[in-house]
Amino acid sequence: MADFLKVEGLQKYFPIGKNLLGRPKQVVKAVEQVSFTTERGQTLGIVGESGCGKSTTARLLMDLIPPDAGRITLEGETYGKGRDRKPIRDLRKRMQMVFQDSYASLNARLTIEESIAFGPKIHGVSEGAARAKARDLLDRVGLAPDNFIRRYPHELSGGQRQRVNIARALAIDPEIVILDEAVSALDKSVQAQVLNLLADLKADYGLTYLFISHDLNVVQYVSDRVIVMYLGQVVESGPAHALYANPAHPYTAALLSALPALHPEDRKTHAPLEGDPPNPISPPSGCRFHPRCPHAEAVCAEKMPPLTDLGEGRHVACHLRIEGSGYSAVRPIDVGAIASPTQITAPS
Amino acid sequence: MANIVEVRDLSVTFKTSEGLVYAVSGVNLDLAEGKTLALIGESGSGKSVTMKSLMRLHPPHKTAIAGQITVAGQDVLSLGGKALGDLRGKEIAMVFQEPMLAFDPVFTVGDQIAEVVVRHEGCSYQAGRDRALEMMECVQIPSPRKRLDAYPHEMSGGMRQRAMIALALSCRPKVLLADEPTTALDATVQIQVLLLLRQLQRDLGMSMIFVTHDVGVAIEVADETAVMYAGRIIEQGPVDTVMTNPWHPYTQGLLGATVYPDMDREARLVAIPGAPPQLYRQITECAFAPRCPHAVEECLQPLPPPMVMGDRMARCVRLPEVAQLAENAVTTPS
Repeated sequence: MADFLKVEGLQKYFPIGKNLLGRPKQVVKAVEQVSFTTERGQTLGIVGESGCGKSTTARLLMDLIPPDAGRITLEGETYGKGRDRKPIRDLRKRMQMVFQDSYASLNARLTIEESIAFGPKIHGVSEGAARAKARDLLDRVGLAPDNFIRRYPHELSGGQRQRVNIARALAIDPEIVILDEAVSALDKSVQAQVLNLLADLKADYGLTYLFISHDLNVVQYVSDRVIVMYLGQVVESGPAHALYANPAHPYTAALLSALPALHPEDRKTHAPLEGDPPNPISPPSGCRFHPRCPHAEAVCAEKMPPLTDLGEGRHVACHLRIEGSGYSAVRPIDVGAIASPTQITAPS
Repeated sequence: MANIVEVRDLSVTFKTSEGLVYAVSGVNLDLAEGKTLALIGESGSGKSVTMKSLMRLHPPHKTAIAGQITVAGQDVLSLGGKALGDLRGKEIAMVFQEPMLAFDPVFTVGDQIAEVVVRHEGCSYQAGRDRALEMMECVQIPSPRKRLDAYPHEMSGGMRQRAMIALALSCRPKVLLADEPTTALDATVQIQVLLLLRQLQRDLGMSMIFVTHDVGVAIEVADETAVMYAGRIIEQGPVDTVMTNPWHPYTQGLLGATVYPDMDREARLVAIPGAPPQLYRQITECAFAPRCPHAVEECLQPLPPPMVMGDRMARCVRLPEVAQLAENAVTTPS
């Protein structure tokens, strides 16, 4: 199947401070050479810890932050600035976003109805039709329109506000919805309601989701494919079930084994990784994960491993897994054998 | 075993511009020496309010506290002035969710720890610094001597939380209160801090109350658990039995709503409908009844006293029937 959404070489460096000549003193390499594809109707999960660039990636896609480099292609049409590209405005009709902070992402001075109807009006829908659409969508996300259209954001609970944000994102009939930690701030009982709602909406409208979260369990539950990011780069990607059952990158393995137990007999006895993720201002040389990696060798500090195709839709950026990388004992991963995973075990 | 913390019929009411808020109503808690209790609940359930009451950290002119709190043999609610200051930090100490907000940004971490030691033990500043260094080693901060002179903003999130733990433990309190101490941390750092707390609790023989909204975190650290809903403890008991065989419909609902690894993607989550109640009135009936799948007419009557069976307790009108139903219906991950 042809790629529906294709992102190539997305990049963003943020300058910090300026010297006398107006040149930045330091740069944060927030997103570096991020590429991925997703198919129509699928959910792509993006996981990683704070500062890994997952939210910046989402904002770059929507051009809320202009990217330094990169190419966003949707069904063969390339969007962005430049003569040969279609304007971002058109991309935003097809791609919408829901943010983590349900309160901050709604205009406090607009009623719920006005907030939802705002998008369609901007894109040329008549006042009456936009309001009708708002009522429709409120009903669809489980909020009785008669009770809610005239309310303001502060009169709603967190879960209700996030439903409004979802309705607003859907108001201009997008094909792709970016969910940036959209359920992370909700209590578990409400989170489950919103996850069910998202599943229903996806089926009804044939949506494609980019689901960004730090919660590995939720990402596994919702995603068809998953991307793992570390310090601005993609370190692994693949089908969700295969990646979780048999992680290829030591960082993915560590993230998965850092999950708290769900049964008292499975309590952890040691932490898979030491220390905190490093500062993206001066990231480590070579593989950015090498200072925390239990398998690191000299080559890992020298060369940055390229994101390499392992087959079966899986990619990894790790010398340990790449033939001819210079690593002393390359251990290729058997991508075909999910049932008998060649697991990376963290040192005890 | 002796109880280091005893809470009897604790009620906490706040005066706000929108009227009274009944944040905690009728909470009873016992914590045995050397044990860890996880207080689980969603936002607004009263878990942090209960914790802060144990140290009397609420603004006095806006807060009415009723009931009785005993910590290490002292009646906390009758203490005043200096006696309260002696208790805080020495007998009972607290670790907060946001170490960046809990530390004073204009003093070094070492000075802040030394200050506490000098206040409680009347020792010299130098002796306080020595203790600070010892504590920084104890919580496994790399190059601790150098870090003594660091300001809070110069540390990473995980290291700051370790320093916060060092501060809380610097006078060897008998009870440590940990209020969502790992919620703001990344996954790989969270597990490090959880393991550290578990190890320190054992090594120092402390008792610990651990507030969390995350069931997995509670399972990692706790012996006992208490589940709060709308200002009440609705279920209590050993963490392994409560989490594998919950009695109260809310606990059942909470576990059912939690996404666990390798879950069937086609399966719908068993969400709890609705949202927790506002606490602007004193709720005498079961506060969960409007959301409960097992609710009947009786559930709207004043809530009967807790049902205690062996080492477990739950507050539900329909016990034990509902617990039986659950045993057949609730699917817990294996």
